[in-house]
Amino acid sequence: MVVVGAHISIGFAYSTPKVLSVFFIDIQEQLGASYSEVAWISSIMLAVMYAGGPVSSLLVNRFGSRPTVILGGLLCGVSMVTASFGNSIVYLYFFIGVIGGCGLSLNLNASLTIISKYFLNKRPIANGLAMAGSPVFLCVLAPANQYLLHMFGWRGSLVILGGLMLNCCVAGALMRPVVLPRKPEKVEERPNLCTKPQQSCRNNAKKFLDLTFFKDRGFVIYLIGNVFFIFGAYAPIVFLSAYAIRQGVEEYSAAYLLSIMGFVDMFVRPGTGLIASSKWIRPRIQYFFGFAMVFNGMCHLLCPLVKCYAYLVAYAIFLGVSFGMVFALIFECLMDLMGNERFPSAVGLVTIIECFPILLGPPTAGYLVDIYKDYKYLFFMCGGVVVTGGLFLLVMNIYYYHMLEKEKPAAVREQNQTKTIENQDLVSASASRKYQSPERSMAGEC
Amino acid sequence: MAECCFIHFSRGDVSHRVRASTLHAGESHTENVELLNPVNLALQCTWTGNQNKLPNITGFWRKDGDEVENSRVTVQLEGDEYELKRVFSIVSEESLGSYSCVFGSEAKIEFVLAAPQIGEVRDKPIVSYVGDSVVIACKMEETKPKPGSWNWYKANGTDKEQIFVVAEPLRYEIKNEERKTKLVVHNLTEADGGLYYCGAVYAISTTMGHVELKVISFQEPLKPFIAIVIEVIVLVAAILLYEKSQSKKNYTEGSNRETQGENNGPEGSSSTRQRKI
Repeated sequence: MVVVGAHISIGFAYSTPKVLSVFFIDIQEQLGASYSEVAWISSIMLAVMYAGGPVSSLLVNRFGSRPTVILGGLLCGVSMVTASFGNSIVYLYFFIGVIGGCGLSLNLNASLTIISKYFLNKRPIANGLAMAGSPVFLCVLAPANQYLLHMFGWRGSLVILGGLMLNCCVAGALMRPVVLPRKPEKVEERPNLCTKPQQSCRNNAKKFLDLTFFKDRGFVIYLIGNVFFIFGAYAPIVFLSAYAIRQGVEEYSAAYLLSIMGFVDMFVRPGTGLIASSKWIRPRIQYFFGFAMVFNGMCHLLCPLVKCYAYLVAYAIFLGVSFGMVFALIFECLMDLMGNERFPSAVGLVTIIECFPILLGPPTAGYLVDIYKDYKYLFFMCGGVVVTGGLFLLVMNIYYYHMLEKEKPAAVREQNQTKTIENQDLVSASASRKYQSPERSMAGEC
Repeated sequence: MAECCFIHFSRGDVSHRVRASTLHAGESHTENVELLNPVNLALQCTWTGNQNKLPNITGFWRKDGDEVENSRVTVQLEGDEYELKRVFSIVSEESLGSYSCVFGSEAKIEFVLAAPQIGEVRDKPIVSYVGDSVVIACKMEETKPKPGSWNWYKANGTDKEQIFVVAEPLRYEIKNEERKTKLVVHNLTEADGGLYYCGAVYAISTTMGHVELKVISFQEPLKPFIAIVIEVIVLVAAILLYEKSQSKKNYTEGSNRETQGENNGPEGSSSTRQRKI
């Protein structure tokens, strides 16, 4: 049930900035704004959603996921309803962009955290299913918004969309706080190990932006790879229709390409989660993530070679597959690296840094198109950047795990090897825990 | 399939133009002619004929499906082609329409004479609310000549009534740019709903575009909104109550809960996992 809640919450978070564009033409006409002015609404919402990560982490660490998501849902609902009374574009920037974006950032962070708290063995599947919310909601909300627009105009549609976003509160209600039985006993059992990490945990929660994360090699590697990916990932999708039309494809068929991609994405995310849970992949999930990124980049690089519609459809399918794979794993890998306790703060830090590539990527790509008047340079740049990110992750992770092996005392390794006999189920995860047990055993018991 | 050319010269205040079209293969062809001002337009049709090239065939002209008086002539085969030419005086809106030259009973070329049409017509209605203001816009494409001015009309039954801002300056506002026009209606009422026509005024005629306006009261979206809010409250209450009843049950069950919790859906807390190590 927690997965359902996270699915809804993440679905709204990722799809709302995109589906609002359905209203843009009407808002443009009625408020007398230019196209780029109206497009800022989505950009501001996305930027605030990512930038609000640390604040969201703070709230989640303090109060837990459930109140945070309920608050996020209320914020979103109220922001949309208030925005419907707007008469100027700046009003919309504030209410939809800023307040709505805040609400969504609370939702996103808290949903990811609750998954990391509830699941371990089946966590990749849970992540995959939850992240599948984004394409599902995109496919549902886009036509729904069109319908609402024709029935009620943009103002009424915003009111109803606000109401729909209140369902995030329902999603929050599903996120039952994790009950830890016998926790007082455990604290008594190992007081020595616990007091120091417990204090540092509290300090982490209290600090607004915890920069000690940058000392963690794994985190920095992940962050750099992610920044590369986000920079290059969105522009091809934004420009895919335009590119297809330039190749002579008809408008509706070009729009279908994006729908195909979204549809494929919907199924690939849980599928990837399933694969990632398997015995062979789970311990090597960081490599799988790097591979997915390289795959995505290769798709972009090969796109300019494709001219006819059938091949463009194939490109859209492969794009959907690779995009879904990366996004199913993107937070799973962070959870894998950071562990339960540090994840909320880590994800807050990651999202605020990802703010920059997400805002810079598509305009830079658009700028390339403007200079060279040819879309192929856009695809080359994006593909190149994403492949670089993926290769960086693959190579650096090999180095990282190699260093971890060297640094870990031999005794701990022996201890873990004997424990594998205990439970068949844990064999798959033990290899990954081998690399992480120094950090996670401390983090988990605080 | 068809070639055409323009020869433009003026005599006095009415200009003369020639529009020519040649038909090679197939049986009919249509040409669109855009006119801005009154003109004496010469329409010229050339047909390369069919297999049996008869020396003489009958040719005539049609306007809007009806044969033009005294237009029937015998056309001679000259240099492997038949030619029909006639000058039409296009002065007003009635003179615009569809003109066709017909060769015998086989070949036909149609000339559609019209003022520049408004291409981008909004097909979905604009929805607005009682008491709100609405902006209705019309645009003439960049590729087409710009109109002299714009007029706005509101549909009244089958008629169109022109909207004059001076009559009701508080309610209507018209903002004209060269190729765009905006009608702003303030303080909407339900009666303001319906079809609005924007007219691009050219010397020869005015072309119309239409936009539909729907005015609804704000209770309309409020009803589904309240329904959704009630649904949310009911679901949240149900979930929380269910949880409370579950936890009461588990409290009485005691230690059995831990093993059950691990096997079922949520895999229990991470701390219990860690303890297994």
